[in-house]
Amino acid sequence: MDSILTAKGLTKKYSKFTLGGLDFEIPRGFATALIGANGAGKTTLIDTLCGVIRATSGEVTYFGEDTDIEEAAIREKIGYCASSSFFPQGWTAKDIAMSMELAFDSFNREKFRTLCEQLDVDSDITKKPKPMYKQSDGNRMRLSLAAVFARETDLLILDEPGSSLDPLMRDRLCDRLREYLDDGNGEKSIVFSTHNIADMENAADYAIFMDKGRIIESGFVEDLKDKYIIARGEAADYDKAKHLLMSHSKNRTVFDGLALAENAEELARLGVDSEAPTLQQLSIGLLKYAEETR
Amino acid sequence: MKILQNSDIPIYKQIAGQFKEDIMNGRLAEGDYLPSIRGLARDLKISVITTMKAYEQLTEEGLIAPVQGKGYIVNPQDREMVKEQHLRLLEQHLQNAIESAKLAGIDREELVNMINLLYDIE
Repeated sequence: MDSILTAKGLTKKYSKFTLGGLDFEIPRGFATALIGANGAGKTTLIDTLCGVIRATSGEVTYFGEDTDIEEAAIREKIGYCASSSFFPQGWTAKDIAMSMELAFDSFNREKFRTLCEQLDVDSDITKKPKPMYKQSDGNRMRLSLAAVFARETDLLILDEPGSSLDPLMRDRLCDRLREYLDDGNGEKSIVFSTHNIADMENAADYAIFMDKGRIIESGFVEDLKDKYIIARGEAADYDKAKHLLMSHSKNRTVFDGLALAENAEELARLGVDSEAPTLQQLSIGLLKYAEETR
Repeated sequence: MKILQNSDIPIYKQIAGQFKEDIMNGRLAEGDYLPSIRGLARDLKISVITTMKAYEQLTEEGLIAPVQGKGYIVNPQDREMVKEQHLRLLEQHLQNAIESAKLAGIDREELVNMINLLYDIE
């Protein structure tokens, strides 16, 4: 795989939580979704990748050659967007613009202004702009996104960018992500985390599923959709089919569960139907499987 | 090009199917380039990998070929092969028609008359 980022044995240890050791790659030219429940370690992983926190051990290679995230040249190429309030509480859009200008050569103030207008939030020339603490989570995310998209980057790493946005704004975000990939012509890549992939199903090309600090599955979405099926049957057939199911959900009428596509024929012989999963169904199945086998 | 997001037919198959139709009826000619993968994904509001899978399928079927750094180009189409594919499709449709006719209790003669009638209207 042509990867933009490679992690080997990446580990972050806290007293009550350990991330890793993780080995994974992020494909170049695609959007990668980090999918997992709250507490799976998505933010810890993103913050480690972006140099916000230091890994306990392991190594990450960026753009095929560099391993030191402290290097300004690497940071210049990465657009990082935190899920919670990243900028100081007292800051306004004007302060954000000034700090971004100082921190990043490619930050374009006019582009920032246009993006703020498009995203319907304060810009650097708004009269009496609101400080961050007076803004909603959604507005703070919009400002962070505007700040990131106003730069020339090769890799976007966005932590839960869709979660605080309303449906319309999330749709626009997905458009903008596809636009970024298109403009990059196969060279620009995106990583974003989400605990609700249904909202961004059509913006994800590659998926990494996480549970309790571990990676439980990863791959290109279309390949994963070929690898797994959702099995559906009547409750009476459950007992003979359950050994083929990876996740189990049953009531007195029906059952369903995730299964390997290679078992579809055998399931059919047992009277169990199968369907190709959506990314959302796949996520639920895999996360449930991880929970059941933890 | 139009796709349905909630159809039973996977999106990549819908895309491949429409390009195939365009190639078969000449709307896309030999040497034409298909839209870029990421450009089409952007326009159709779908993921890049889905578009890519559609192009991969068309490549496997020999209808298009990747050109280094330039995207995907429509292959010269073998007239016989195209005709063969049309024939297969025709057979399939006729088979369906016969099945429906049987279900509705329409006999062979009546069915042939219907085809003649429809052919004339065309």
